[in-house]
Amino acid sequence: MPTEQKLGRRGRIARVAVAVTGIVLLVNGSVRGSDDLWPFGPMSQYAMVVADDESIVFTRISAVTDAGTTVDVPLNIEGAGVARAEIEARAGEIISNPSLLQQVADGWARKHPDKPKYVSLALIQDTTQLVHGRVEGPPSPRVLTTWKVRP
Amino acid sequence: MSWFTPPIALGRIAWLRTVLYLFVVLDMHAFVRDTLDKGEHPGFYQPLFLARLLDLPKPTVANTTTLYVVLIAACLVGASNYFPRVAGWIVAPAFTWWVLIGMSDGKVDHDHLALVIALWVLPTVGRASYGDQTRSEAAGWVVRCIQICVIATYFLSAVAKLRSGHWTLAWPSSAVLTWAIVRRPHPVGEWLLHHPWMLHVMQWVGIVAEFCSPVILWLRGRWQLLGALFFLGFHAATTAILLIHFLPTEVCWLAFAPLERIRVGRARRTYLVAAG
Repeated sequence: MPTEQKLGRRGRIARVAVAVTGIVLLVNGSVRGSDDLWPFGPMSQYAMVVADDESIVFTRISAVTDAGTTVDVPLNIEGAGVARAEIEARAGEIISNPSLLQQVADGWARKHPDKPKYVSLALIQDTTQLVHGRVEGPPSPRVLTTWKVRP
Repeated sequence: MSWFTPPIALGRIAWLRTVLYLFVVLDMHAFVRDTLDKGEHPGFYQPLFLARLLDLPKPTVANTTTLYVVLIAACLVGASNYFPRVAGWIVAPAFTWWVLIGMSDGKVDHDHLALVIALWVLPTVGRASYGDQTRSEAAGWVVRCIQICVIATYFLSAVAKLRSGHWTLAWPSSAVLTWAIVRRPHPVGEWLLHHPWMLHVMQWVGIVAEFCSPVILWLRGRWQLLGALFFLGFHAATTAILLIHFLPTEVCWLAFAPLERIRVGRARRTYLVAAG
């Protein structure tokens, strides 16, 4: 017969108290907190109401290379070492301080030394219009800011 | 009170340690994998509340590299079930810091709750081995905490969706999946864009299932297994439609499985009997 290890009174009370505190923190984060409270923040992935006539924006970075081509910067760890979400979250900051884009060019050059270098970068916002919940036409691009890459 | 501390065989803890500590090693390379990069280029670093509260230093090459080496070493020791408390108490804060750095750039992922909490509760149990059938209330508390966090990930995401609609049911009828697919286009999604009603059905199924998820904590045996399989299927669907996986949460579903029934050795055959 397998034996059973019981907890003492104090051990049990302490554990229940920790669990209940954790649950209270989690509920608090979800009801009124923000992502800042991680890991006790709200589980807000895709938690937003998107209206049927919303303009869906998508932020990307376009680069002109020293080979004369124009490319979309791959915004991930393997590409330029920075994720699209970071760029979207910091778009406002980048617009007021475009030199933050230098890091994107540096990241690309460091990770892909044999590929064409970026000579200028443009932060671009593509807008897709919804009409009655359906996509209406192709996205329209708008340049938010540009940055001439320092060699 | 005893609901939080059901007696559970120590063998399950041994398996959870092996799987979860090895998963952390995978996670550091596949999911939260930019912490070392952030040490080199802390330009976008924006510390989260916990990092500010504890006054954690800004990521540097030195501290992120040290963190990497220490974490890998402690995870391998922990996964072997040797020195479980020492290894566990190193992995828990170290991985928490690793993720805090990885998510300190304006974006937080919501799939790490159960894994991080699992790492903090696992070291509260001492030595355990795979086949150990000794039932322990301390082990039960660990398992229960992980289970609660897995379920909270779903239930609280339904709460967040209600909150996003100012506490109305606006979310499931909104164009949120259309929005997600437009921003991450791929063949399956683009086909679905032509059929918005299907996306609405998925949104309703999703939010209702998330709301009902706590029931799984009280289900038993094959009903609980069905609940777990439903949510794993839910993840398969969201991976196909949204290209987001929730592997750090999915692996923690193992806390529901009677891992202690896996027979070790014996011609290397393993038996996984439905939960009971």
